Amino acid sequence: MPGSTGKRGTVRSDGPETDTHGTARHGTERAATARPKGPRPTRSRSREHRAPASATGTYVYGIIPSDVELTPDTRGVGDPPNVVELVRHKEIAALVSDILTDRPLGRPDDLVAHERLLDATATQVPVLPLRFGAVVTDTRAVVDELLAPHYDEFLTTLNELEGRAEYVVKGRYVERAVLREVLDEDPEIARLREAIRGRPEEATWDTRMRLGELINMSIEAKREADTEALIEAFDPLCVSVLVREPTHERDAVHVALLADTDRDPKIRKAVDEFGTRWAGRVELRLLGPLAPYDFVTT
Amino acid sequence: MTIVQPTGAGTSGRGSSSGLADVIDTILDKGLVIDAYVRVSLVGIELLTIDARIVVASVDTYLRFAEAVNRLDLSQTGNQKGLPELVEGMTESGSKTKAKGATQGLLDAAGEKIKGLTTGEDEEEFEEADEEREPAPRRRRRREE
Repeated sequence: MPGSTGKRGTVRSDGPETDTHGTARHGTERAATARPKGPRPTRSRSREHRAPASATGTYVYGIIPSDVELTPDTRGVGDPPNVVELVRHKEIAALVSDILTDRPLGRPDDLVAHERLLDATATQVPVLPLRFGAVVTDTRAVVDELLAPHYDEFLTTLNELEGRAEYVVKGRYVERAVLREVLDEDPEIARLREAIRGRPEEATWDTRMRLGELINMSIEAKREADTEALIEAFDPLCVSVLVREPTHERDAVHVALLADTDRDPKIRKAVDEFGTRWAGRVELRLLGPLAPYDFVTT
Repeated sequence: MTIVQPTGAGTSGRGSSSGLADVIDTILDKGLVIDAYVRVSLVGIELLTIDARIVVASVDTYLRFAEAVNRLDLSQTGNQKGLPELVEGMTESGSKTKAKGATQGLLDAAGEKIKGLTTGEDEEEFEEADEEREPAPRRRRRREE
């Protein structure tokens, strides 16, 4: 990823604050620890603290290093989408935007905006993504309750994530192909299929349930074997690998990878190789680079 | 350093691009939970779509598989050995897109559950985004050093 290093070479995790109770006040903390470093980030888009207006809150997307600038037109969740801004605290910052709290949140546009912002960020700097729907009262709370009390922890994790991003490999069995496989491999499935041929569902309920269950078990076994094969191939390319739960009954693989972004070409090549190997059998996709949703822990 | 927000989806894929289903898989149950960090100033906001999930291994799944394998036309690859009744069933399984004859009644009866089987992939993607969700994903986590 271009531009993901260099300027922020001064980021250090030697902040003295170990106070986890949020008793330190933001203003004095920042003033006390401000120190010279490379190109000084301008703070034009960093908001001052302010009182909460009625029925509004501050939506938090994620946490990033503070020496970052946002383009002025960066938009987030909301209808119309609100401007995304930074709330800085020493060397870390939160990506936030105003939000009306009396309206339900979670339209498709909101979901996409949340992930799109974090993924775009992840191509530039390390980011700790928050789960969708994180809202606090105001920007002061972002500093006093989120950034300041957990400063060391966040900064350390951001440093660990430097130059890394998440990828997700998703594969789905082609229905016709996988059903033919299970029919060929399991005589019992083939027999039960014959038993329901041309007969109404009402008359074959139990048989159908048994048949479907066997097919599901058979596909689960395939999923496990195929996932294992995929992980074996990707393990050397990655910092960490995590198997996601299937979200569809025909999922073949659903794996999250944390990798150094300079491995990007090798990861794409490896996915292509599996795509060829499983051609006609599994529809394979690679998502990423993404923010490391699967690799941050609360 | 400047973060530029792209106009397109922030992902690239082999096959198709990232859709809403991918987004839901990722941001609704993954990432840091702010409740663990922020308590006093937490604002509860009504979230849509959060409950739009189903269990993968379920009665619906089994019935879908059973019907899918029932509809499967094995003659296309000549893989008919041991299935003498296949020819008899051709009238209903000849078309992949429409169930006919004896199955028509149960399609009506089963309604939405079976309807997905006779629709195309596009709609399937939409359905997945809407409802095909795992309620409580477990994670196999291997922490980095």
